[in-house]
Amino acid sequence: MTVGSQVKGCYSSIKSIEASLGILSNKTQNVESKQAFEHTEQLMKQIKNDLQKQVVMLSKQEPQYK
Amino acid sequence: MPEWIIILLRSLTLITLLFFLTKWLGTKHLSQLNIFEYISGIVLGSIAAIHTVDPDTNFSYAVIAMVVWFMVPFGVEKMALKSKAFRDFTEGKGVVFIQDGKIMEDNLKKEGYSTDDLLEKLRNNNIFLASDVEFAVLEPTGSLSVLPKRENRPLTAKDLGIKLAPTKEPQTVVMDGNVLLEPLANLSLNTNWLETELDKMNVSIENVFLAQADSDGQLTVDLYDDMIAVPAPTEKPLLLATMKKCQADLELFALSTENPESKEMYQRNGKKLQNAIDTISPYLS
Repeated sequence: MTVGSQVKGCYSSIKSIEASLGILSNKTQNVESKQAFEHTEQLMKQIKNDLQKQVVMLSKQEPQYK
Repeated sequence: MPEWIIILLRSLTLITLLFFLTKWLGTKHLSQLNIFEYISGIVLGSIAAIHTVDPDTNFSYAVIAMVVWFMVPFGVEKMALKSKAFRDFTEGKGVVFIQDGKIMEDNLKKEGYSTDDLLEKLRNNNIFLASDVEFAVLEPTGSLSVLPKRENRPLTAKDLGIKLAPTKEPQTVVMDGNVLLEPLANLSLNTNWLETELDKMNVSIENVFLAQADSDGQLTVDLYDDMIAVPAPTEKPLLLATMKKCQADLELFALSTENPESKEMYQRNGKKLQNAIDTISPYLS
């Protein structure tokens, strides 16, 4: 596995975490839990954005593995 | 009229009367009654008993006596609700038996409790050493309430400084194979959600004996067929595991890259993800 595909895998996992947190925050009846889920979802979004840039950068560096 | 018919009629009337009188007197448990309520209950029953089996007595007297024995305790109870002083007078006050870890011998004597009685009451509260008690009070109902010393109290999450996610009461959404709509609506869920969740577990609703959903919408089921293994809810543990894996991946990337900019980015996000795991893990367990 190239570095690019590893980072890509991590990126998609982060995306899936973000979506799961979104589902949980919508499902829960508790205000406190909802806030915690939403807060974590925001953090995941920031990480996701950073990783996305990294994925783009890596695919430029390793064009042969695209 | 033959006597047996009279007794039959009297019995039925008095049973009905007694039923409603005791119902109106309240739903206190027998052990919570004070002596006055206890005695008036016995008297009510006795009046009914006497007038049931003795056809020579005047039946209206039975009704009058029962109404009086009902009205007075009823009135006393209602007044006791209004006034604290009256309540202390009719229901009595608690008596302190142990204060600051010291047994109040005078109070024990006043209430007619021997040392053995006190020890027995303490043992009922799972305390076998009197010196473990900080404070104990004999309630007017006769039960002893005990506050153990701080170090002898059960350990709680608060003592350990553990943060726990708040939970609300779970709702029973399926009972005996029938969907209960009201509890589902309380969780703002619907039957479609239930069908999807059951499909995920690969069970049909006819086979479900009991299904409960917690406030986070996790479903647990018990089936009629006990040979089928039901999967436990995996959504939250799975999410936590994925988060931990991603965190480890980010740290690994940070170690393996030689680009300082990327290294810094991986480290920063790794830390951020660690923080996220720390805050969310109480809610995911």
